[in-house]
Amino acid sequence: MKTVGSLTHQNGSIQACSLDELGIGCQGQVVEVNGDHRVRRRLLEMGFCNGASITVIRRAPLGDPIEFELRGYHLSLRSDQARYVRVVQISKPPNDID
Amino acid sequence: MGFCDKFQVITMPHCRENAIELALDKGDVPVVALAGNPNSGKTTIFNGLTGLRQKVANYPGVTVEKKTGTCKLPDGRRCHIVDLPGTYSLISHSPDEYVAMEVLRGLRLDTPAPQAVIAVVDASNLQRNLYLVSQLIELRMPMVVALNMMDVAERRGLQVDAQALSAALGVPVVPLVGHKRRGIDALKAAILQARIPPMPDWILPQAMHDELLLVGGGLAILESETEHEAAPATEGLAVDKYRRLGSSVDDARRMVHYQALAERLLIGDSAADMTPLASREPVKALLESAVSRLAVMGIEAMQADIEAHYHWIEHVVAQVTAGIDAPQAVGSSARQAWRPQRNLTERVDGVLIHKIWGLLIFALIMGVVFVSIFWAAQPMMDGVGAGIDYLGLHATGHLPAGPLKDLLKDGVFAGVGTVVKFVPQIALLFLFLSILEDSGYLARAAFLMDRLLAKVGLHGKSFIPLLSSFACAIPGIMATRTIEHRKDRLATIMVAPFMSCAARLPVYGLLITTFFAAWGTGVRAAVMYAAIMLSLYVMGIAAAAITAWFFKRSLLRGAPAAFILELPTYKVPQASQVARQVWNNTWAFLTRAGTIIFCMSVILWAVAYYPRLPSLEQARISQTARARYHSALEGQTGADTKAQPATSEAEAVSMSLGSAAGGYSYAGRLGHAMEPVIRPLGFDWKMGVGLVSAFAARELFVSTMGIIYAVGDPEERSTTDLSRAMRGDRDQRGQPVWTPLVAVSLLIWFVLALQCMSTVAIVRRETGGWRWPVFMILYMNGLAYVVCLGVYQVGLLLGA
Repeated sequence: MKTVGSLTHQNGSIQACSLDELGIGCQGQVVEVNGDHRVRRRLLEMGFCNGASITVIRRAPLGDPIEFELRGYHLSLRSDQARYVRVVQISKPPNDID
Repeated sequence: MGFCDKFQVITMPHCRENAIELALDKGDVPVVALAGNPNSGKTTIFNGLTGLRQKVANYPGVTVEKKTGTCKLPDGRRCHIVDLPGTYSLISHSPDEYVAMEVLRGLRLDTPAPQAVIAVVDASNLQRNLYLVSQLIELRMPMVVALNMMDVAERRGLQVDAQALSAALGVPVVPLVGHKRRGIDALKAAILQARIPPMPDWILPQAMHDELLLVGGGLAILESETEHEAAPATEGLAVDKYRRLGSSVDDARRMVHYQALAERLLIGDSAADMTPLASREPVKALLESAVSRLAVMGIEAMQADIEAHYHWIEHVVAQVTAGIDAPQAVGSSARQAWRPQRNLTERVDGVLIHKIWGLLIFALIMGVVFVSIFWAAQPMMDGVGAGIDYLGLHATGHLPAGPLKDLLKDGVFAGVGTVVKFVPQIALLFLFLSILEDSGYLARAAFLMDRLLAKVGLHGKSFIPLLSSFACAIPGIMATRTIEHRKDRLATIMVAPFMSCAARLPVYGLLITTFFAAWGTGVRAAVMYAAIMLSLYVMGIAAAAITAWFFKRSLLRGAPAAFILELPTYKVPQASQVARQVWNNTWAFLTRAGTIIFCMSVILWAVAYYPRLPSLEQARISQTARARYHSALEGQTGADTKAQPATSEAEAVSMSLGSAAGGYSYAGRLGHAMEPVIRPLGFDWKMGVGLVSAFAARELFVSTMGIIYAVGDPEERSTTDLSRAMRGDRDQRGQPVWTPLVAVSLLIWFVLALQCMSTVAIVRRETGGWRWPVFMILYMNGLAYVVCLGVYQVGLLLGA
């Protein structure tokens, strides 16, 4: 078992994806944050840690950036930054039609 | 278990537990810092605490705004409040955060170290707001928590227990509804009760505790040893020895201080007070070995530190909140159902950032802003200008004719007029900006536009500064402060002047009506006018996009910034706050840009006025002009009537005199000297003089042309007379000086060239040096030169 943050993987059966791959309305749990030092620090400080739950609210009309909800507030990230955040999907929206 | 909680470490000697009381008893005025996240309502609280007793300035050396004020405490005594820039963290990512950190740590020479801090926390956004609080706690300063936006939390169904929070943190917590002034008095009373919070039990991995002990020990040794002994001692010492040294240091308080220092170094905090220590070779080696030892265990100091803080936050929040929206224990595997949109902000966003409606509404709002500034622009400028002229006439009417009268009328009053003409438009722009920002819509605008702007290497937050630059580049450039990433900010500043500002309007107006409205009056002419105007604006935008893209690929190339944009809850802007911001910003514009424009106007007036034509020369020119007028009249039939624009002998004389005087003055000589350089672009020396004066303020071009062509009664010069004179101007070979192609070339020059001293001054201020403003002057004017050259020469070839 490998300890990453406070979430423990069990024999690698959980599939992690990057945050920009989560669909609208889906929820993911933060597993790790990659990227260069400054970007990582900023993301971690904004709350992308300790297995926090992130919900994908919407994408901007032009496709980018993406609006998320975590720890009770809303923020937006560009896709290429969202890619740095690895999550484990934990739920889908009630109706699967996006 | 952590050892830190055993000691009340005071790392800042000036920050005693009851520092506020001590200061007040001595009769001093204590300083209290106001810290908090952006969008936490800090400014409203600042306004509530200080009322009108506030001052806005700049921290010397940086472009961060410094807001200070005086607060009257309940017992009548006073304290100073320093409103720090909104920050998410004290470990800086932007100049704002750096300054906040410096002020709190007492590192700024221009600001006294605060004796207490009020931490403003948004109750509806507790977790992230508490992160900053957790860092403030580490500063070991007397603290009070202002729990703001209780009404928003309530609306969302969140119940935050201020008492419980106070118990959990160990400091007074005052619930507030800032914009309704509820709780301000309680906050004032609480300042006197500020306490140093107990150090929480950060849950760090044991390995990190070990390393902190080790590194802390090393730092203690290094600091106590003399310089030449330090190096051999560090290299030779084994890890064990350090550890033993670390735990045996007698003065436990000192040890905790070194461990706190060690922690900051390990997590990569690079504040100024750290750098001399951190750059010493032994310290670097110490840190590197600690980091690699931790890495072997899969621990990264920065992440462990932040996670520890958030663990504590989650624990605290679970204790103090209840309600439907309360955050559940994170890390739990319980599946959370998708919550339906409940609160107002989310519902409004459903429309405002909707795929179709969002963009339409955005276009509508921006259109309204743009159009109202423009529709109002020319009439407002004319109105204010006429008012100042009228004042000037009356003030100088009784003076005898001569240099003093001319100086006052054409120099001073005209100079003042040039500045003041802008004020209504600028104030209107600031009004729109303030409302958009305070309501929370600005973040949505950045959200919508980011994709487009990112394509040319700019930032979503660049949109508003660029839009503002359509009124005036100066507030636009000032607005780039919201862009955290330096390179994105620079790129925005570099291209902002391409957005055709209001000062160019009179020039565009003059040139278009003179040379392109030959299609008669009425609808056709109006449409033509609008079409040409629009193409000029589009040209500016295109130039900006291309240059920004180019810069991002070359000069300003760098890792893309972390675009993290918070979308705050929508609020109704508070009228008094908006009014205050409009006032402050407009006043800043008047004093910064205004003084420069005014001084340059007066100087340029002098340069165009002196030296005066000697009277002998005046007589000779008048005679020649009279003769030419009469001979042209006699040979009228068949002669080119356009070549004789003067409608009377007196006018012919004054025109010739005006032209000659213009040429004789310093400005004129400069224009003549410039002529060889600007000839290939189609400009003659008179235009050269106009361009010189345009460097103070672009619209001075029109008044300078008016002076040089000296048409009509000086007190009643009108643009139609000027147009007539320009069209009829002939050079020595009898060819028209002004052709439509020349006008096109000049228009393009005004679109592309940087011609505003005030813009240069503001860029110098905002970038902190002369490098970038000088570069801007060179590249923009160079670009203008090349493009105008190309257009004119190609046009000539094509037979225009």
